[in-house]
Amino acid sequence: MFRKATMAVIALLCSLSLLAQDYTGGVKGKVISRSDRSPIQQASVTLFQGAVEIASTASDTEGDFLIENLADGMYDLVIKAPEFLDTRVNVTVNDGYVKNMFNLSMSPSVIAQELDASNFAEFDLDDSGYSDNPTILFGQNDVFNEIAGYNFSSVRFRARGYSSESQDVYLAGVKMNDAMTGSAPFSLWSGLNEPTRTKDAYDGSDVATFAFGGYNGTTNIPVLASYVRKGLRGSVLTNSALYRLRLMMTYASGPLDNGWSYAFSASARLGGNDWIDGIYYRSFAYYASAEKKFNDVHRIGAAFMATPGQRGAQNSSTQEVYDLVGDNMYNSNWGYQDGKMRNARVRKTHEPIAILKYDFTPTEEFSLAATLLYRFGKNGYTALDWYDAADPRPDYYRNLPSYFYMEESDYNRQNPFKAAWAADAWSTGYDQNLIHINWDRLYNVNQNSIGEGGRLRSKYVQEERRVDQRDLNFAVSYKWRPDNHFQLTGGADAKINRTENFKVLADLLGGEYFVDIDNFAEREFASSEGKLQNDLDYYFAHGQAKTLEKGDKYGYDYLAQVRNASIWSNAQLSFGNFKGNVAASLGATSFWRDGLVRKGLFAGLDENGNEIKDNAGNVLTTYNPQTGEVISSYGKSVKNNFLTYGVKAGAEYRLGGSMRFYGHVGYMTEAPKFNKAYLSPRTRNSIVNDLTTIKNFTADINYQLTLGTWNFRATGFYTTIEDQTDVMSYYDDLQNAFTNLALSGIDERHMGIEVGFKIPTPVQDLAIQGAVSYGEYIYTSNPRMTQTVDNSAEVTILNEIVPYWQSHPVYKKNADGSFILDDEGNGIFDYDKKHYVPSTPQLAASIGLAWNRNYWFIDGDVEYFAKSYLDMNPVYRTDFAAAGPDHLETPSEIEYMSAQEEFDPAFLVNLNIGKSWYIDRKYQIGFSLNAKNLLNNKTVKTGGYEQTRLVDNTVGKERYYRFDSKYFYNNGMNYMLNVYFRF
Amino acid sequence: MKPFAGFAAAAVLLASCEEWEPVYTLKYDEPANYERVTMTPTHTIAQLAAMYEIGNPKTIEEDIIIAGKVNSSDQSGNFYKSFYIQDETGGIEVKVGRSSLYSDYKEGQTVYVDLHGLTIGMYGYKTLKEYADGPSGGNGLVQIGLEDPTNEYETSYIEVEPIINAHIFRGQDGDKVKPVVLTEKDLPGRTATLKDSPVLGKLVTIKGLKYSDKIFTLAYINSNLDKKASSNRIFLSDQTWGVTTWAMSKNLFVQKLDEGAFDSVKIGNSGDYNYGTVADHKDEIRSNAAAATVSQYFTCGKTELAVRTSGFAKFGDAEIPAEVLNGSATIDVTGVLSLYQGDIQLTINSLDDIVVNK
Repeated sequence: MFRKATMAVIALLCSLSLLAQDYTGGVKGKVISRSDRSPIQQASVTLFQGAVEIASTASDTEGDFLIENLADGMYDLVIKAPEFLDTRVNVTVNDGYVKNMFNLSMSPSVIAQELDASNFAEFDLDDSGYSDNPTILFGQNDVFNEIAGYNFSSVRFRARGYSSESQDVYLAGVKMNDAMTGSAPFSLWSGLNEPTRTKDAYDGSDVATFAFGGYNGTTNIPVLASYVRKGLRGSVLTNSALYRLRLMMTYASGPLDNGWSYAFSASARLGGNDWIDGIYYRSFAYYASAEKKFNDVHRIGAAFMATPGQRGAQNSSTQEVYDLVGDNMYNSNWGYQDGKMRNARVRKTHEPIAILKYDFTPTEEFSLAATLLYRFGKNGYTALDWYDAADPRPDYYRNLPSYFYMEESDYNRQNPFKAAWAADAWSTGYDQNLIHINWDRLYNVNQNSIGEGGRLRSKYVQEERRVDQRDLNFAVSYKWRPDNHFQLTGGADAKINRTENFKVLADLLGGEYFVDIDNFAEREFASSEGKLQNDLDYYFAHGQAKTLEKGDKYGYDYLAQVRNASIWSNAQLSFGNFKGNVAASLGATSFWRDGLVRKGLFAGLDENGNEIKDNAGNVLTTYNPQTGEVISSYGKSVKNNFLTYGVKAGAEYRLGGSMRFYGHVGYMTEAPKFNKAYLSPRTRNSIVNDLTTIKNFTADINYQLTLGTWNFRATGFYTTIEDQTDVMSYYDDLQNAFTNLALSGIDERHMGIEVGFKIPTPVQDLAIQGAVSYGEYIYTSNPRMTQTVDNSAEVTILNEIVPYWQSHPVYKKNADGSFILDDEGNGIFDYDKKHYVPSTPQLAASIGLAWNRNYWFIDGDVEYFAKSYLDMNPVYRTDFAAAGPDHLETPSEIEYMSAQEEFDPAFLVNLNIGKSWYIDRKYQIGFSLNAKNLLNNKTVKTGGYEQTRLVDNTVGKERYYRFDSKYFYNNGMNYMLNVYFRF
Repeated sequence: MKPFAGFAAAAVLLASCEEWEPVYTLKYDEPANYERVTMTPTHTIAQLAAMYEIGNPKTIEEDIIIAGKVNSSDQSGNFYKSFYIQDETGGIEVKVGRSSLYSDYKEGQTVYVDLHGLTIGMYGYKTLKEYADGPSGGNGLVQIGLEDPTNEYETSYIEVEPIINAHIFRGQDGDKVKPVVLTEKDLPGRTATLKDSPVLGKLVTIKGLKYSDKIFTLAYINSNLDKKASSNRIFLSDQTWGVTTWAMSKNLFVQKLDEGAFDSVKIGNSGDYNYGTVADHKDEIRSNAAAATVSQYFTCGKTELAVRTSGFAKFGDAEIPAEVLNGSATIDVTGVLSLYQGDIQLTINSLDDIVVNK
């Protein structure tokens, strides 16, 4: 019986194998990454017929695979690879041919991508000079970026300590970094996750196929219809950290037989969150694209997209405020009105992008892509504005207990009774109107402010600061690969940007009109009516300042005009296991300011070149006290022209199929950005001293191992950034003025290592993964500072060195902390304490376990962050601040005033769970749940800034004190649940 | 599809939350105007002021309520951080301690002060002494504030919003207070109080004032340093020093300084002129310059009084008309009447309070 059966089986097998050998049919194809079209090696390719496994193989180093000996019929091809989502496709073999599936693309299995890059809370930083924009890492099949991109994002980790302005982001081949600020404008497409999911990313200073790039990575989002995953997809997401609900729907046709592809997407993000009151989303997004391929040579495509909507912003407060309220997530931007939370600071945007792209592929060796892209629309940000009325901010320092009582008697704040009352009001919250914006009071003030003709003149209004861009771009790039050893890429691009900066009256808050005069100038020049005018020409024409209604422009109005163009080329050679490249770029940038209104304080000259006088005959024209040049608010500034260039080289050596040693080196200059070039662009044409190109040198070496499910990458990097400028404006209530600080000659050095790994454990489907970024990002120069105030032509500080910027001296101390003095009574120098590039942990580490089986994934990680520093304000690093009113610098004053705060290290724990199901092999439904900060750690500082003010009315009159710094904190435990489906 | 249904249910639940309302409507009903209160005063202002004894600030432990109409305004910047209220019996200063008070307390509006827990004290008194060239010193004016634990002043500003809310109440709006017209005989003596001179702290008009060619201003070499140190003090007194405006903004002060108007002024308190002159310290004075409050002296018959104007007043740099300065015209002044060390002071609300008689 047994023998019979055995024989039967053998016979069957034989016949099967005999039969099989007779078949000529088969399946072949190339497995590639959807994100960058790079081949995926060692992908497992399994062929099923029904539920029966017929054959399996693995892709080779070029991603190619071949399965032969197949009978005609319908099959399912299942492709799996680490770091990618499983892919399943139907294959029909007929007439005995080997079916060529060509490119089979796989999507990276990066869970982090669900929360798009711009989903960081909108921080309210306008008056602080502090900038906050974490760089976003794309998990492009790179183990470090994948882990760091997700797990480090909550603390606003910046890769290698670089600012987000240095990260180049392209859309359909056009550089999208903001023409004013340079920052990567992820918010332009946030909510369009599906159309922007495919990305082509290059790390560090690697030269991209579409651009020369900088030193902090270059990413292109191809965005047109053919790059959007085929099918109908939808998802519902809820999230406790940003918004309650996200709805998203996308349809993409994929390439159709007639050469067309088209795609549509729309989404909505709505609601508040569990942690920060006042932050809400009311954001929508739409996207449409079509492409048409004419034979294999021409392809033309277009896309139109935007993310209209509004988001409430968060403000930072001092630790005193957080402690009083008992909540590090207190937000001072909102108050109750009509029983609802109303946020005074709301970002309102609608900036569409229109794209026209042409691809030309005449031969297999040559391809060319050209894109025309236009960005336009409105970008507004509301804020309270007030005229001759008390500061409405609830956490204004004069409302806090520390304003009434400080233990140190030298502060001259010795009223514990008042302090107790103030503390009581804050901590018990018995009157919510005291600890939040008191909208009722603002309205009441306006309702009782009888002005001209009995009309109500608003004292408090809501303004909307607008930065409306018109940004026209053209980019072309080509790729020529005559043989397997040589490849030449290159391109050219040009940009014309015209950005109008102005503000409009958004809400009169119960009043009937507002008047367009400069509140601050009035304090200083009350008797000169001409100097108070925001619009002097209107005043001359009508005899009085403009009376404003809702929606009127007021305050300031100027154009920022930016032009730039560049060309670049990259030559790449490969022989056997060696690959090398050299690249160069050349560019020109020009920008100028064009004032559209004449401000009384900086009247400039009239069209005939004559001084301007007020009605009383007093000269209004002002001159720079140093250069004697006319300071003008009106008309065109001088054009600032910069010639920039860059050279880069790279080399790579492959050892076996799995190891890669590679490195890059580059030197690049870049033009300063408009927003860091003018002393006070809202009021005048004056530019920062010593404005010059920024010089960057960068080098890195890397080792990468990719072997089966083993993944490892280690990188060492070294970068210097020199001759940066910075400007910051803030309201100084001691001077009753907007004060502008301009810094020039800021140098930085960033060096460190990055390590990422994912390796299998003996437990099946369980891998251990980790990432470490450890670096030293420091300042290496003492910049020069110029200080001006908006309400006068006076230059308070002229191009003076900031001596304690890059470091400060530490003096020798006794065991009790007192200073050891020499014979002359001076402190004894001990060592210099370095100052660091702020707002990112310089040590970040993550270790975790990832389990992945049968469309389930569970992933738990522990993170550690340390060496994160507070953004410094230059005033505290001057001799002036350290000396105090007596002009004597003592060791204790220097150490107190110039020290930089280091944040406490922090541990965070994250957990992710997901699962997807296939229904009838056609439909897919799944969910992912990301839980962050499971330890509910609410004391992790993510950033902040020092206030630019000094306590100067001390008792001793010997020294100054700092104002308390302001901070932002990481959310406590939060989750995101996403449910998605695909048809 | 089960998770879907559950999720939809969750979404509906969420949508009913309070925070969703602003998201969908973005409409906030306009708040109603605030409610004006009516209270019954227990004391008149004079009765309250009478509870104060010179040199002994008194914290009120009883339920005392006074009522008065606001007669001052900080709109033009001449009053700062406080306002005056007056009833039939007199006026008193309420040291609220906040800026732009005129937005909340309108001239003519009735204001009630619940004094339980507040302190009354006097500012600007100095023991009266008789000198060869006349008497010096005298009373100041009673104020309402908070206890000052530093004892620097008899009262401190109330300043803290919850304390203000607990003690100061806004009543009905009303017409602006009509000034009392005074003649020389109605003017208070150096040691006057509300008991004998019920016009103190009230809005008054004094007519026919004649310029007496002198000012008084206290400036500093460096106002960031000790203001009480004689070596830091600059007294512009006994003559006009070329100051022809009601006060001096910082810009005007610097202009006059640069013109050399103050060059010969000796630094220091009277009798302690050991620190050189303004000319010797010009650079330091210029770099630390601040707005200067000026008392311009006038005579009402034989009585001298000062029109005192803050350097922060918007009209501070306005020129006093030449015909007033040269004595060919007199002025009628309307302002809040007060005493400072026995000297009569008028503080005006705006430049409209000066009428030139041609």
